[in-house]
Amino acid sequence: MAGEVKHDYHLVNPSPWPAIGSLAIFVMLFGAVFAMKPEANFFGIAGGSFGSWAFGSGFLLLIYTAFAWWKDVVHEAETGDHTPVVGIGLRYGMILFIASEVMFFVAWFWAFFNASLYPALPIEPGTFWEVVGNEAVWPPRGIETFDPWHLPFINTLILLLSGTTVTWAHHAIVHGDREGLIKGLWLTVALGAVFTMVQGYEYSHAAFGFSGSIYGATFFMATGFHGFHVLIGTIFLAVCLGRAIKGQFKADHHFGFEAAAWYWHFVDVVWLFLFFAVYIWGG
Amino acid sequence: MNVKRLTAGLMAAGAAVFGVTVGAFAQGRVGQPTAGGLWLQEAASEQAQKIGDFNELLMWIITVITIFVFALMFYTMWRFREKANPVPSKVSHNTFIEVVWTVVPIIILVVIGAISLPLLYWQDVVPETDMAINVTGNQWNWTYSYPDYGDIELTANVVQNSAFENANERQAVEAELSNFLGWPAKLNARLLDTDYRLVLPVNTKIKVQLTASDVLHAWTVPAFGVKLDAVPGRLNETWFEAREVGTYYGQCSELCGKDHAYMPIAVEVVSKQDFARWVERQGGTTASLLSPTLGR
Amino acid sequence: MAHANPTGWKRWVFSTNHKDIGVMYLWFAFIAGMIGFGMSGIIRMELMNPGVNFIPDLFGMTEQQARHMFNVLTTGHGLIMVFFMVMPALIGGFGNYFVPLMIGAPDMAFPRMNNISFWLMPPAFILLLLSTFVEGPVGQNGFGGGWTAYAPLSTTGHPGPSMDLAIFSLHVAGASSIMGAINYITTIFNMRAPGMTIHKMPLFSWSILITAFLLVLSLPVLAGAITMLLTDRNFGTTFFDPAGGGDPILFQHLFWFFGHPEVYIMILPAFGIVSHIVSTFSKKPIFGYLGMAYAMAAIGFIGFVVWAHHMYTVGLDVDTKAYFVAATMVIAVPTGVKIFSWIATMWGGSLRFTVPMLYAIAFILLFTLGGVTGVVLSNAGADVALHDTYYVVAHFHYVLSLGAVFAIFAGLYYWMGKMSGKEYPNFLANVQFWITFIGVNLIFFPQHFLGLQGMPRRYVDYPDAFAQWNWVSSIGYLVTLVGVLLFIVVMGITLSRKKTLGNNQWGEGANTLEWTLSSPPPFHQFNELPEIK
Ligand code: HEA
Ligand code: HEA
Ligand code: CUA
Ligand SMILES: [Cu+2]
Repeated sequence: MAGEVKHDYHLVNPSPWPAIGSLAIFVMLFGAVFAMKPEANFFGIAGGSFGSWAFGSGFLLLIYTAFAWWKDVVHEAETGDHTPVVGIGLRYGMILFIASEVMFFVAWFWAFFNASLYPALPIEPGTFWEVVGNEAVWPPRGIETFDPWHLPFINTLILLLSGTTVTWAHHAIVHGDREGLIKGLWLTVALGAVFTMVQGYEYSHAAFGFSGSIYGATFFMATGFHGFHVLIGTIFLAVCLGRAIKGQFKADHHFGFEAAAWYWHFVDVVWLFLFFAVYIWGG
Repeated sequence: MNVKRLTAGLMAAGAAVFGVTVGAFAQGRVGQPTAGGLWLQEAASEQAQKIGDFNELLMWIITVITIFVFALMFYTMWRFREKANPVPSKVSHNTFIEVVWTVVPIIILVVIGAISLPLLYWQDVVPETDMAINVTGNQWNWTYSYPDYGDIELTANVVQNSAFENANERQAVEAELSNFLGWPAKLNARLLDTDYRLVLPVNTKIKVQLTASDVLHAWTVPAFGVKLDAVPGRLNETWFEAREVGTYYGQCSELCGKDHAYMPIAVEVVSKQDFARWVERQGGTTASLLSPTLGR
Repeated sequence: MAHANPTGWKRWVFSTNHKDIGVMYLWFAFIAGMIGFGMSGIIRMELMNPGVNFIPDLFGMTEQQARHMFNVLTTGHGLIMVFFMVMPALIGGFGNYFVPLMIGAPDMAFPRMNNISFWLMPPAFILLLLSTFVEGPVGQNGFGGGWTAYAPLSTTGHPGPSMDLAIFSLHVAGASSIMGAINYITTIFNMRAPGMTIHKMPLFSWSILITAFLLVLSLPVLAGAITMLLTDRNFGTTFFDPAGGGDPILFQHLFWFFGHPEVYIMILPAFGIVSHIVSTFSKKPIFGYLGMAYAMAAIGFIGFVVWAHHMYTVGLDVDTKAYFVAATMVIAVPTGVKIFSWIATMWGGSLRFTVPMLYAIAFILLFTLGGVTGVVLSNAGADVALHDTYYVVAHFHYVLSLGAVFAIFAGLYYWMGKMSGKEYPNFLANVQFWITFIGVNLIFFPQHFLGLQGMPRRYVDYPDAFAQWNWVSSIGYLVTLVGVLLFIVVMGITLSRKKTLGNNQWGEGANTLEWTLSSPPPFHQFNELPEIK
């Protein structure tokens, strides 16, 4: 290599994970298609239970890749590759990632508001001219919605509370209080898990289905993707908890934790929008 | 009413009816693309007329802009070629010229907008109309019904290519079509003709109500200046007023699957008397035909 | 710290080097481009004469199958050219290779993520190609619902797994682009060489920066939209199904909220490349640099609020349409600023008409031509006559195929020497330019006439009145084919030559940082960061 490196940027070593990860994604998605369409036949290769197997193995490989990849990242952070300027880069990256997630939720809110502000009647093909002129309402007739001030409200409180516990953990970090950090994270992770369970309980008692009605579609997909993000966030925080226990975070060097906290706040804010729009206003 | 049943019954009435209506068959022009054509199809409605005029204005504006840019570029290329101008200037700012090339386009666009928006409102706001037709797009044909005239309903399918290669088949199709219309009709063009046609009166404001039964389609007749998507579960409306008797063609203009290219639109515009006669022939209610606008 | 330099296949597959990754992107785009170009050839040959003959003969299928096959080809052509040719070439290829060089950075901000951005592209592409071999509509293979994939044709209209594969293909390509975009923004914000303020940054970096923002903000919406397609298709949701109170038009809003920014995603990097070339061969700095940069920002910004101009005929209410007419036309103003600034850059310069310069000039002229027809289309009143006709096809190929693709050619000729150290054969390259130039104009200019006469898009067969201009258009394709084959020859000759070029092949005028490095640049450049005064 020509010349000595005189800058603080991180020149990452070559890594097998991107290529393996892509392979995993390919196997997973190719399998997913045939898991959803088991009756389809692909040159005799795919079809039947092939899809589920491929999906499953691709998924496992992806999880393993993610694990190995982040393990490398943590290792690099521990060995001094994450200089201050690299840290700034990581922050930009995380902010932009969250921005893209926000736009992803825009799509679901768009679908929700499109359906709720301009409700349309369910129309069977061929019966169109008979229903012309009839009024449609939101929520659609026959849909019994959740009472927002019941479980959803409790869940709101849980998430808001978890927002404060994660902040507590953050304060603990900057003051070098490892015990407080661990406690705060434990609480946050626990609250996240409780939220997910409450949400699961609520889903199982829904008076409307996932399929067949635009109400169920917008409700379950919007809150479902939120729930999925809660899960990701919880795992992210749990990883941070593990790292905190190992003592990997320093008062001035803990971006992994900050990223998790930002992500958690983002998930929190999305919930508030869901709560006010989907549960209260649209319910 | 089912078209097949309808025509079968009419077949029985046979040549007699046919003979009566021959004298009054629809003459007039054929609204279809012309070979090697360079411009919009000739307008047969005020809608199309206005679109055409506006489009022509736009064409002049963009042509002048394009020629201006090309000319400026060619002049620059010639005047400042390396040989002619070996020493480049270093000028990289001129506020005045930058303001000019910002403001002049704005002015041009304001002018365009001032013409465009009124046209849009005029086109789009459906006025008081004399009659309505319901149009449903299906994979791959069109169903028409006439809500003002009882339960006339017909489905128009494309005339197969083979009819244009085989004289006998062509005659059979033309006979069937003539029988349906009640006056002799000829096929005009491959992929534009349909087995039955939408029959409409001339000089009548017609409201088109549009929907689809399966996927998106778009109902288009260039000579009328009309194009509107047929959307399942939605009602779309537009209007036009054909000002000349004739046969006008259009084609489905929203990708709808394999036979997207094989669901054309053929509209037979006839005098009001002929229209009234046609409605009667189809067994439609004629009560509303006595309205002052149509009964003439 | 120590940094391994693997060789052999590991150098490429495990790469964390922006130049290697850029080169892989370019090869990928080239292969995809050839496939997309081949598909357009089948389309053009089918449309050369009325009737459905070419596709049945070529694939040995019935006419009924061919009618669907045509739609599959059109769809595939559009998707491939957009997602797998133009975007990888301009953003992944040139962006990766030159953004770090231009801003004086040793690499991208996230080199490993950069690699997965690339390596997601082949799986995405393979998923798309595989989709042609499985059932789409009942009894037919492949997805033929257009690159816009409008519901319900993409839901109930194509019940087979083909569409699911296409959806996942877009998910993966989208994820790749989002990660790429995050990488560019971070690199540009965080890794500019000391002294290079954002207002001193070369215009190509500016263009990639703005493009990356468009990607981050628009692609996730597409991801949401196609996820809805997926659940509607497989899990019984009714987002786009009126039988459950859904709305097919919702898909179009979501698609075009992405789709319109997408067209600027494809053209802004082209703007950037053209700026560099025009400045280099005029031996003059860019005229109105700041205006150029902020014009791109304005185009990107306004690009987010004009999406419904693709939907004038779906039955929007008239006030909505009026708003979108006005908003869309506004884009002509910053674009005009760019056109005139390029000419002003040339004005007073000392012009050398090298091949990249010829391509850049052709870009400016032909983009103007395509842009002004866009202004015609933006008027909802006139769009009624032109929507979904070949006029639209002519419009977007002038800005894409004669715009974005010309910029790719221009960029390749301009930077080929930098990337390989080898000189292209000048005479052949000139011939290649002229043949391609004549060919593509012959393809697409007559399509304006077809569109005005009312020929609808996505038609496998057409009334005989449209025959003449279709024939001319197809002849144009054959001319272009010669141009593209010649392009392969030119590139082949170039690559087989010896490395002869020094740091700066173009001399005075080429003054961005990449020209201060050797050709090709060292594996790791700027170990010592350059100071910008
Ligand atoms: C690179 C891609 C690209 C670019 C840059 C553009 C640029 C523009 N496009 Fe285009 N467009 C597409 C790609 C692109 N488009 C595609 C792919 C489709 C079809 C999608 C599909 O349906 O499949 C499409 C379709 C499309 C439609 C929908 C047509 C329809 O389906 O009915 C419209 C309507 O408004 C439109 C408008 C415009 C406008 C106003 C611009 C403007 O940005 C152009 C601005 C440029 C100029 C105007 C020229 C230079 C300016 C001057 C010299 C200044 C002076 C000029 C004036 C005062 C006018 N485009
Ligand atoms: C970037 C986008 C792009 C490009 C380059 C092209 C290039 C071409 N296109 Fe296409 N086209 C689309 C985007 C593009 N197209 C889209 C989005 C649609 C709509 C699809 C739909 O309706 O759903 C469409 C539709 C479309 C149609 C209408 C089909 C229909 O409605 O039924 C036709 C018909 O003639 C056509 C023809 C061509 C031809 C002949 C070429 C070319 O052959 C012209 C010449 C091209 C070249 C000379 C470039 C070749 C480039 C390379 C080989 C890559 C080199 C790169 C590197 C080396 C890195 N295209
Ligand atoms: Cu019906 Cu296209
Ligand atoms: Cu657009």
